[in-house]
Order: sequence, then structure tokens, then C-alpha cells
Amino acid sequence: MQSYVHVILAGLSSGMFIWLVASGLTLIFGVLGVLNFAHGSFYMLGAYCSFTVLKHLGAGYWTGLLLGPLAVCAAGFVVERFFLRHVYRIALPYQLLLTFAFVLIFDNLVKIVWGGGALSPPSLSFLGGSVPILGRNFPVYNLFIIAVGPAVALLLWALLEKTWYGRIIRASSSDREMAASLGVRVPALFTAVFVFGTWLGALGGGLAVPYVGLLTPGMGETIIIEAFIVAVIGGLGSLKGAFVGALVIGVLSAFGTRFFPAFDMALTFILMGGVLLWRPQGLFGATR
Amino acid sequence: MNRRDFLKLTGAGSLAAAAGGLGGGLLAPKWVWGATPAVKGPIKIGYQAILSGTLAGYGEFHKMGAVMAIEEINAKGGIAGQKVEMEFRDSTTKADEAIKNARYFVDSWGADYLAGIDSSGQALALAPVMAQLDRPLMVTHGATEKLTEEFVFKNGVRQIFRNCMPTYNDGHAAAFIAKDFPAVKWSTVSPKYEYGFTCWKMFQDSLKGLKPSVQFVAESFAPFGTTDFRSHINTIMDAKPDGLYSTEWAGELISFVRQAKEAGLFEKVKYVMFPVGAAMDVLEGLGKDMPDNIWISARYFFQYPNNKENNDWVARFNKRWNHYPAYVSETAYSSIYAYKAAVEKAGSKDTKAVVAALEGMEMNSPAGKRVFRKEDHQAMYDVPWGKTKSDPKFPFKVMGDMKVIPAKEYFNRPPFEGPGTTPPFK
Repeated sequence: MQSYVHVILAGLSSGMFIWLVASGLTLIFGVLGVLNFAHGSFYMLGAYCSFTVLKHLGAGYWTGLLLGPLAVCAAGFVVERFFLRHVYRIALPYQLLLTFAFVLIFDNLVKIVWGGGALSPPSLSFLGGSVPILGRNFPVYNLFIIAVGPAVALLLWALLEKTWYGRIIRASSSDREMAASLGVRVPALFTAVFVFGTWLGALGGGLAVPYVGLLTPGMGETIIIEAFIVAVIGGLGSLKGAFVGALVIGVLSAFGTRFFPAFDMALTFILMGGVLLWRPQGLFGATR
Repeated sequence: MNRRDFLKLTGAGSLAAAAGGLGGGLLAPKWVWGATPAVKGPIKIGYQAILSGTLAGYGEFHKMGAVMAIEEINAKGGIAGQKVEMEFRDSTTKADEAIKNARYFVDSWGADYLAGIDSSGQALALAPVMAQLDRPLMVTHGATEKLTEEFVFKNGVRQIFRNCMPTYNDGHAAAFIAKDFPAVKWSTVSPKYEYGFTCWKMFQDSLKGLKPSVQFVAESFAPFGTTDFRSHINTIMDAKPDGLYSTEWAGELISFVRQAKEAGLFEKVKYVMFPVGAAMDVLEGLGKDMPDNIWISARYFFQYPNNKENNDWVARFNKRWNHYPAYVSETAYSSIYAYKAAVEKAGSKDTKAVVAALEGMEMNSPAGKRVFRKEDHQAMYDVPWGKTKSDPKFPFKVMGDMKVIPAKEYFNRPPFEGPGTTPPFK
């Protein structure tokens, strides 16, 4: 019993953590139709910027979490406004290549600015430590991640479904020309959505600082693969799908590691293969 | 002094010097050829290590050691009087990248000597290529025992040497330390690739041989790039072991220790061993978060040996880089000096001559005396194991209660198969 509860908790926290990164990726694909490989780099930059604010400006963790991702938004703006915007019309592989180029650039940038070694953040005073659950400790911070995930999902849903901005975003993503002819400034809107998606990725990075406990150049490359898997299983562009996909992957891999250790790496891919065979558009994907 | 003696002293000397300066010009009389330098410069060293991705810090540490060695050597006149040049390339972690670099170094750049290599997979993939390229390669980090046992000893790839500790220290030596603990039930969280599997097996085999009452109750292997060890920690805590052995290393070890600490693992499991826990990136990365009384080791630790040569080197290193030397810094540094010693001993930079000179060679290094075993080209030297403790002089945990097991007691012995070739030796 103790074991099952802790495995589920571990799975939930890792799932919600992937969701935080996958949400921005999914939003950008859903609205702009761009498979943004550089999303992992925004995650990495978010972590490094939050860490820098936390460490060098002597600010608290929350200030770091607020200011770090905001700084990364500038990078998102530059990438969309001056580069991606010019390749929307050409084939998807070119967008992938362009965003992959940014992965390499940002990795090197991080090495130049922060050095090649791993950085290790100080431990948190608030939200640090752990609480006993059924006789075994579970970190408070992971409980916090388990709560933040659904909160972000709820806010995104409310933004897209309940606000005027949400309606415009949905309208522009389903028919660019029609939205434009109705007076929506589609390019500016796309920039805004891209920057918002960047912020979501960078926020995941900021939250990763105490979660992973380590910053390394290239940390974005590991997470981007998982985020892509989650987005594909859920259905590319579907936020609901990404949320469910992240939950399933998180819990499944936690169970795999604990009870079927020989297959823990394979389980995720078996699931992805199965979903793609059964529903090529993903669990909640629309047929395009 | 007669005329002949006078000529010998002045004329021949200056003629030889002039000839040497001209690189042995065509006009030099035949008998002066012998006085031209046998080793022609510049001496080119190709070094590769990981400079990108999550392990990028390793490359920087290699570089500090190698660059420092070359600066020192060039300031004192180079190797056999020739200036040393180095090119440093990113090996990444992929085998084909290491091969590409090695080919570039030798075929395009004209390297005389190669060094570096972090991953065991790359070392194994490079072995047959080095036989073709025919240059000496000193592996300074990749630790797999298969490199020296299979490629050098059995397949006779004589170009390959290794000056860092092989997996023997991580597996066998750990067992020699663990046999004295009251712990009986052992478990592991280790990397889910060759290195993790091999070390755990070595540890189990030797410990069983030394202390037949031990049991192995849980094992969990984490894939490369794991950042979340919580499910692995659950596996260990469910099994309620007395001892934990983990060959996680670098950033993954940092994440693992943090998460295990949060889960209260170190309060439940009293005997914990990290064979690569004494790496500077881990000690500095964890700082005060590293628990006390954890048994750690590495391929070199800057506090051992506590003698003048090592202490002076650590001080020079600190002055040059404002850093304590990581183990790869020491092996990088010593790999250049090993080549210098070999070239000067052989009087040539020819691969055959250098290899012959390195075989069985003894050298002093910051890590103490190293001997390159003739049979498999593995350097024998001693590194300490010890328990983590605080020291007000350092902002990170250091090694207390050092225990040194002599290399000859736990290194596999040639011919590497059959009874009596792996410790504990009967």
C-alpha cells in the first residue's frame, strides 16, 4: 500500500512536471502550427534565468520564478518576430530545422554565459523538506508541482474558452485569412501567443530548479523529447490531450520503473506506438 | 688539448647546432646527421572530451588539466626540445563523433598523440580505429575494463593506454571496503547501461567472495539522462536494505542524492557507497547538501596523496584556474606528461617507439606513482576511499577516514579469464 501510494505520487509529480513544459509546446502548435524544437531551450533558459535572479540578485525563489521566465519571453519574441514568421508558409521540416538551430545556439549561449559545468541551486527554505505520508517521506515541493499542474491547465482552459482573447485566438488558429479580414491583427496575435507559450516553457524551467535540483547546459534536450511524446499521445495541439497524456505517461513510467524495471523505458514508447496505431491523431487530436 | 679534441669541442658542436637549426640542411656533412634532433616539432596532441550537453562540464575540467600541462612543458622547452601544440575537440557522447574526431586529428591535422575520451562506449568503438590510424591514444576517463582486457590484451591493439582507474575501483575496491561493514542486505541504483551493470556485478561477485553471508535484495537501473529518481528510490525503500551501492555519477548523482535525502533514504539505509562520489562536480554541486558518512571514491582525489608533489600541483592548479582539480583534470595533465616521458625515453615520436616506451613505464604524477602494466596497458596506481565529512576550509564535503587498498590487490589479473584472475585472489 505504502509503495503504491508513493509510486502514484511520484508518477503524478513527474507527469504534472512534463505537462508544464508540454503545455506551451502544444499551445504553440495548436495556434501557430509550428513544431517548436526550441521549446526545450526556453525551458532551460527559464531555469538559468530564475536561478540567476535567485542567486545573484539575492532575491527569493518566488521573485526568481516571476522575473526569470519574463526575461526569456524576450528570446521568444525575437525568435518568432524575426525568424519563424518568415517560414510559416514553407514545409514543416524547415520549421523544425530552424527551431533546432536555435536549440544549438541557446545551448552554446548558456555555456558562454553560465559556463559548461552543472549549477546546483541552494535548497529552498519555504516548500523545502518533506512530509511523512504513510510512513515514508514525500517532498513538499513535489506536492506543490502536483497542485500547480492542474492550476495551469484550468487557467489555460479559462483563457481560451471564456475570454474574448481566447475566442480571437481560436478563430485565428482555425482560419487565418477569415480572422484577418475581420480585422484581427493575426501576425501580432501569433507573436503574442508564441511569447506566451515561451513563458509557459520558461516557467516550467523555473519550477524545475528545485524539482531537478540541477542545471546543466543541454537540460532542455531531454525534456523536449518527453514533451513531444506527451503532445503526440494527447493529440498535437490539444491542451486537454497533453494534460491527460502527461498524467498517463508520468504514472505509467513510475509504475514501470518500480514494478517492471526491465521495460521502464519501453513502456512509454509502446504506449505511444499503440495510441498512434489506434488513433493516429492522438487521444484528443482533431483530424486535420 | 690536441687538435682533434679541440675540433670535437667547438667545431662539431657548433656545426651540429647549425645543422640542427637548418633542420639538417643538404650541405651538412654526413657525420652530423646524428646530431640533428631525432624528434621533429611541433609535437601535436589531439584531445577530445565532452564539451556539449548535460556533461559539458567534464570537457572544461579535462581542458584545465591538459592546457596546464602544455603551458608548463612549453615554458620549460617542450618535449625533447620541441614545442607542443594541442587541439581540443568536442567528443559529445556518441561513438561516431569520437571516431570522426580521431580521424580528423590524425589524417587532417597530423596529430602525434591522442588523449581524452569520457565514455566507455566511445573507447570501445575507437579501439579498432586506433589500430588503423596507428597513433598512441591515452584514455583518461572511459573506465570500462573491456578496453584493456579485450582490445589491448586479447586483440593486441597496442596503441591504446589508459591512465585513469578502470571499473575495478568502482566494483572490486568498493567490495573490499564494504566487507567490513555490518551491512548484509545490499541494493543498488545505477546507470542503465554497460557501466552500471558491470560495476554492480563486480561489486556483487567480489563482496560475495569476501563475505559469503551478504544478500542482494534490490536493484534499480536508471536510463541515461534521468532527472527524476523518485520511483527508483521507492524500489530501494520497499526492499529495506542495510547498504546502498550506486554508480550514478555527475549531475545524475547530484539529483539522486537530493531526492534520496528528501525521501529520507539516508536515515533508513546506513551504509551508502558512491564509487564516483568524490568527483569535484558532485562535491561542489551538492555542497552542504551532501550527507555525512557516505563512502566515496573517484579516479583521483585532490587530498591524496598528501605529499609535496600533489599538494604543490593542487596549489598551482588553484592559482591557474581558481578551482580544485577534478579527477579528469589530473588524468588529462598526467596523460601529457606520460607522453613527454615516453617520447624522451624513446628518443622518437614514432608510434612503435612510444608504445614500447610506455609499456611498463613508471611515472610520478600528482596521483602518485603510476605504472603502465605491460600486458594490458592499464596504469596501476592507488586512489583512496573515504567518508564524507565537513571541513571549515572547504565550501564542500571532503574525504575523512581515508582507506587505501593497493591496486594490485583488486585489479583483475592477466589473462583475465579463469579462476584466480579476479579478486579476491586466493
